[in-house]
Amino acid sequence: MAEIVIKTQNLDKSFGSGETEIHALRDVNLEIMRGDFAAIVGPSGSGKTTLLNILCGLDTVSSGEIQVSGRSLQTMSGSELAQFRRDHIGLVFQAYNLIPVLTVLENIEYVMLLQNVPSAERKERVRKFLTEVSLEGKENRFPAELSGGQQQRVAIARAMVSHPDIILADEPTANLDSATGTQLIDMMRKFNEELNMTFVFSTHDPQIMERAKRIVTLTDGQIISDELK
Amino acid sequence: MRTWLSALVIAIGLVAMIFMDTMMVGMNTNMVKNATDSLMGHAQMHALGFRDEHEVKLTIKNLAESLTQLREHPDLTVLSQRVLTQAMLSSSGGGEPVLSLGIDPSEEHLLSKFDEAIIEGEYLDSVSGKQMILGWKVAEKLELVLGDRLVLTAVDAVDSEMAQALFRLSGIFKTGDEQMDASMVLVPRQTLQKMLKLDGRIHQISLRYKNLTQDGIPLRSLIQPAASSGNELLLWTELMPSLYMITQMTDLSMAIMGIILFLIIALGVTNTLLMGIYERMFEFGVIKSIGTTPWQTARLILYETVCLGFLSIIVGLILAVFVIALFAGFGIDYTGIELSGVTFQEKIYPSFKWERLLIYPFLSMGFTILAAVYPAFKLWYMLPIEALRKRKL
Repeated sequence: MAEIVIKTQNLDKSFGSGETEIHALRDVNLEIMRGDFAAIVGPSGSGKTTLLNILCGLDTVSSGEIQVSGRSLQTMSGSELAQFRRDHIGLVFQAYNLIPVLTVLENIEYVMLLQNVPSAERKERVRKFLTEVSLEGKENRFPAELSGGQQQRVAIARAMVSHPDIILADEPTANLDSATGTQLIDMMRKFNEELNMTFVFSTHDPQIMERAKRIVTLTDGQIISDELK
Repeated sequence: MRTWLSALVIAIGLVAMIFMDTMMVGMNTNMVKNATDSLMGHAQMHALGFRDEHEVKLTIKNLAESLTQLREHPDLTVLSQRVLTQAMLSSSGGGEPVLSLGIDPSEEHLLSKFDEAIIEGEYLDSVSGKQMILGWKVAEKLELVLGDRLVLTAVDAVDSEMAQALFRLSGIFKTGDEQMDASMVLVPRQTLQKMLKLDGRIHQISLRYKNLTQDGIPLRSLIQPAASSGNELLLWTELMPSLYMITQMTDLSMAIMGIILFLIIALGVTNTLLMGIYERMFEFGVIKSIGTTPWQTARLILYETVCLGFLSIIVGLILAVFVIALFAGFGIDYTGIELSGVTFQEKIYPSFKWERLLIYPFLSMGFTILAAVYPAFKLWYMLPIEALRKRKL
């Protein structure tokens, strides 16, 4: 039986209070298994980004339980959460979110620096993942010198290089044209299959959804379907 | 650009403090030097109680023994034995109360600067004789010219009778100190001793030492006479407490000024750092979201601040050396101005106190780091999810 990487129970998230209270998530129960390649889909405002932010501990829940790699995120302090994200979760953002003043190499090795990985090993791992994302020779470029697709590849390499338990990607192809987006998802799928990496990503792009192994559909903050393909 | 401006502000603050400090030290040194060079010396010995009313009978006890004891001090360079009395100076033009000082010119010219202050005539040339020199204001008041005969009248030390002696005006001095120029006459010591029936006794021994601190304090402590000797030996700090207090207050006022100045600078630096954080909020959000702990994030700002501090200190010290070198050449001219009973007779030049020069960079660094505390806390508690929403468009 596959190992559960993420487990949520009766997850609720609301913003505001009283008459202005908005329920972003309602009673979300979700289990993500090791090796999943799951797409969280739904229209804008359905709670996809909120759910991903909660799954990685960037946002808090109003009620409910959330466990990642067997540990409850709610009991962790800010510092513990940061270290947990560093060691167990890789993040890919819609807008790439690379650090503009750092080169490609520095962006990718940043997390390993935080983990005190020795310099030689860092360089070796950066080279390996740059090859994996087909960006050999661009290690000394700054993000602004790369195309959107290349920047997102760097972001994926940054997320994967520390061997996290899971990679959470919030609309990773939303800022890319459809061909580049499809290539990127294919690349993620390849890592999923070859390296057994667990991916959860949000999207509302039908072409991307086709490549997912599992589709979780959110509407008005509730999971209305969870299908394996 | 903003960082450079902040560095420049801190550097200028450092320059201002170092410059003000060196000028204050220079001013204090100048004042102490003027005070101790003019008449007082670095220390004086008197009979106990003499300083209160200049009682002519209160002469130094066991003079020979006291002189031997004083000369044992390894740093003593000059010693001048004096007789002092309040007297009435009379001429054909009238009379004037004066403080008469009986000196040995061969001793005294090494201690005070009356010989250099002669503007007319000449300095005394003997420990006995009938020569007299006096301040130009006394001369002006009594309409005296060189060669005039003058009578000094005072109470003698034996039976408190009026005693008189005739002198001839041989020189007029101008020290720049109004009080001395308006009320002081110098005559040969033995002549005054004879007039006052002192039989070789004296009222005051004025001393100069070598190896002084920058504040004018002898490095080796003075050899104090025994309490039973009936004499007292006082350093200039006790002879002129107001001057000493001024020099001490300078240190305090510099400390207060330094704290105020560096606090103002620190607030400016805090503002700059906060602006820098706000501008890079998104980047901080990114690094926090991918695993940088609050402490590591706050540490980044502290490292930045320490670099800013170092840069400012280097620039500040270079600028300070330049500014001080400039003023070391020109000086600031306060000659003729009186402060706390001392008249500036020379230009004021900056003077270093190395320990203070070390304190200011540390103070500068300390306040710069202090300025980073609030921004660092702000970063510590900043939620990455909120910071990520601040993406620049």
